[in-house]
Parts: sequence; C-alpha cells; structure tokens
Amino acid sequence: MKKRVTLTFPKRSVHMPVTYLLAKDFNVAANIIRAQVAPNQIGTLVVELSGDIDQLDAAMDWLRSQDIGISTASREILIDEEACVHCGLCTGVCPTEALSLDPQTFKLVFRRSRCIVCEQCVPTCPVQAISTNL
Amino acid sequence: MRTIAEINEKILQKKAVVYTIEALKARVQEVGVTQTAQEVDVITTGTFEPMESSGAVLNLGHTDPPIKIRHCWIDGVPAYAGFGAVDLYLGASQTVEYGSGEVAEFDDLRDARLRSPGREGGGGYVIADLIAGKPVKLRAIGQVTDCYPRASIETTITRDTINQFYLFNPRNLYQNFIVGVNGGDRPLFTYLGPLQPRLGNAVYSNPGAISPLLNDPDLSLVGIGTRIFLGGGVGYVAWEGTQHFPLQKRLPNRTPIGPAATLALIGDAKQMDARWVRGCYFKSYGPSIMLGVGVPLPVLSESVILHCSVQDQDLVAPVVDFSIPRRVRPTFGLVSYAQLKSGRIMIDGRSVRTAPLSSIYLSRKVAETLKQWIEAGEFTLTEPVAPIPSDRTFLAQDRWGAQLNLE
Repeated sequence: MKKRVTLTFPKRSVHMPVTYLLAKDFNVAANIIRAQVAPNQIGTLVVELSGDIDQLDAAMDWLRSQDIGISTASREILIDEEACVHCGLCTGVCPTEALSLDPQTFKLVFRRSRCIVCEQCVPTCPVQAISTNL
Repeated sequence: MRTIAEINEKILQKKAVVYTIEALKARVQEVGVTQTAQEVDVITTGTFEPMESSGAVLNLGHTDPPIKIRHCWIDGVPAYAGFGAVDLYLGASQTVEYGSGEVAEFDDLRDARLRSPGREGGGGYVIADLIAGKPVKLRAIGQVTDCYPRASIETTITRDTINQFYLFNPRNLYQNFIVGVNGGDRPLFTYLGPLQPRLGNAVYSNPGAISPLLNDPDLSLVGIGTRIFLGGGVGYVAWEGTQHFPLQKRLPNRTPIGPAATLALIGDAKQMDARWVRGCYFKSYGPSIMLGVGVPLPVLSESVILHCSVQDQDLVAPVVDFSIPRRVRPTFGLVSYAQLKSGRIMIDGRSVRTAPLSSIYLSRKVAETLKQWIEAGEFTLTEPVAPIPSDRTFLAQDRWGAQLNLE
C-alpha cells in the first residue's frame, strides 16, 4: 500500500540517511515529493511511502522513535469546478503534468496522485479557482 | 447562393440549417466544399478569452439634489466620469485604488474582498459582479454647480437600480495573436500569465481554427452592425477595434500570421449572463475580464465554406520572447495551432510545453449556444451597415511578427 506523509526532522536527525534506512530495514520505498533540508535546521520531507502494510507501520513507529514527526494530513490542491473556466493556463506551469487538458474535450483534468503540491498553479489561475486546503 | 434575408426567413420558420464551426469543418472533410455550401445556412463560431480592452457604460440616474460626478469609485475601482453628470465608464483592466488615504475606499475594498475572498479585484470583477446581479458599492465626488448642487454620494447599486448598463469594448476579438515565451533567466508576469524562465512554458491565447475571425479572414461577412453573441446576451459590432491591423502579413489562405483585425463590440449588459462574463486577474500584471463572444457566419457563397474549412495546421502564430522589454520583441518564428494544441512546440531544438489562455472548452460552448439560439428562431442575422476598413496601417505601436519573412 501507499501512504503520503509529511516528515518533520529535528535538527539532530537531519544527518540521518532516512530513506536508505526505510528501504534497507523495512523494505519501504520512499518517493520524495518535496523536501526542505539544510544543515542544522529543522527539515521537512513530503514522501509517498510504499510497502507492505505491516512494514509501513513498523517504519512509521521507528520514525516516531527517532523523534521524526509524522503528519498524514498533507496539503492538497483544490479546484473549484464552478469558478474554473478550463482555460488551461495552469497546465503550462504544472511541473508534473498533474494538471492537463483532455485532448478531446479540452476540459481541465487534475490527477491528484501526480500532484506534488508545489502550488505554482494557485497564483497562475486567473479566476482564482485553485487553492490549497491548509 | 442565398441572401441574409432568405436565411432569416428560414430562421424564423425554424428551418435554418446551422452548424457549429467544428461540425462544419468535419462536414467539409466528409462531403467537400460544394455540397456543404448547399446544405448549410449559418455557421456559428465562438471564443472565450481575456479581453482587457473592455468596459461598461453606466448611467446612475439622478439623485436629489442632483450631482455632477467628477470622481467615482465602484468597489474601490475608479470609474471615468468626464461625461454628462451621472454617466460613467468602468474599464475592465482598471485596478483597485490603494492607499489614497480615505478610509471609505478601504471599506469599499474590504467589502469587495469579503464577498469574494482571495481575489485581487479590479474593473473586470465589478462588471462581472453587476452582471451577476450582485450589489456593488459606489462612492462619488461631485463638482458643485448651480445645476448640480450635490457634492458627494455614497450608495449601493445593482444592475436593476441603474438606467443604462452596457458593455462598450474598444478592442475585442483579436484575429490571431502571439505565443508568449520567456528566454530570460527570471520569471515574468505578463498578460499571458506567468512565463517561466529559460523557455519554461509557452502560452497562446487564440483558440485557433474555431476562432471567429480566423474563419472570415478578410472580414467579408462581419462588419459594422453585425449582430453577435456577447457575454451571453445580444451584442453588435460597433466599429473597427483599436489597433485594428488588417495589413498584417497573411498566408495564402488569407489568415494573418500574427495579431491583425480587431473589433469594437457593444451590447446590453443587463441581458448578459455571468457565466460568459468573468472577472480575472493576472498575477503581478493586473485585472482583466474574460468574455464569451460568438459570431454567426452566413453561408452566402462557396468561398465562405472554403475559408471556414481552415484547420489548426493551416494557422500560425509567432513565438515572441517577452524577456526583451521592448515594443518589438524578438521572435522564435512561427508555429501552427495544431502544434500548439498538441501540448508541446519545438523552440531552438527544445521541446517546450504549451498552454492555452482562451478556454477552448467554453469557446465551443459559445458556438453551441449561438447555434441553439438560431435554431430556436430567437436570433436572426443582420446585414453589415458598413464594412470594417481593410487598409489600416499600424503606426509604431506593436508590429509583432511583422518582421517575419514567410519565404
């Protein structure tokens, strides 16, 4: 199964090769979606963890034991269907093509699973139809 | 072949054969130009795109005692008042006036923000709000005269509490436009939206083969007085648009290779529908308005069908680099609308993502809605009362793409 979580690292854990340990010790693949990590600062990492459900739970327990904060309430992009005019301007700035226009209907399609919540679409939308839920 | 009078007779009897521009193009592929010309009476075209050179004329109705308005703000957006006493013109790209020191303006702004959180505001939003039937706050300062003793007024207006409320748009319906890119190394915020550095994205704003004026390239059908779909209501072509440039270079199919003809449009905003009139805001550029405009094209000859059968691969636009802040910006040459709509174009050997700015989805809906109006016998066609000039030169304003050599 897959789980998208936001990890918050205390300063002293930043040096730890967390994604390597997740793979080696728990057989959990960590797909990094966003990261903000710098020496001697609190780091955040948005990752999609995939693996066996028991191993995922074990991995999350281990992360907690390392004082790494886990938040499953991740930020999401919301699209107001009423306000959207399907102009498609957002599709040009979306780095993962989570936002695209259907080649037949030219209606906006949002594939949430591809979204990395970079939020570049939010100010790009000329009719303020895109927002985040946090 | 058939006259507009004959077509109108068929429309009133609900017997007119009406095709949307896309259905027509498909029909031509199927049965050819000659047969299509015999079958079809009217073709409907449409577009839905930002048209910032738009605005509304408002007449408030006189107060007691009466006022001669000299300065006016509607939801914090200044409206031009240099007409007769209570005539106003509100431009779509007018920004909210910040920090003039008067508390009332901040109140106006706060009220507008409370109604629609997250939006920046501007003339386009006020026009769209009025069309949606929402109340807007008006504040005006008058010049005290013997005729008009009142010095100021603060009130709330809706579209039902004012006399005239019509759009008069000096420049709409661009016949073709440009493709914006950014070859520099910092992000640019433009009227085409954000352009990312190092050719990060390309934005085109014309819907291509479905766009009204690309299907009547020489404006032989559309003229002053042509009745159109404007913002969900009925409008008319009032004049040539500002920066009308019919002498733009053209392909053998007569379509221009860059911005060319434009039209000034007029229409009763009280009859418009908020669905087709939307306030919009381009980050770090300013407010604008998105409008749905539909143009019916009568099939008066086979050449009408021939021009309307033009496809996206037969239409081009110049790729313009916005990183050079000059009137004449360098171009990366021409690309076809088929390439633009495929989602990627090649620039300097690099694949660049493209995004439209006009809504192709809603452009189609405009053409479909106009088709339904005509089929229902509710919308008849008009003969133009005068042609749009075909020989306007372009005085040093912009000549995007004019340096391009087609050879």
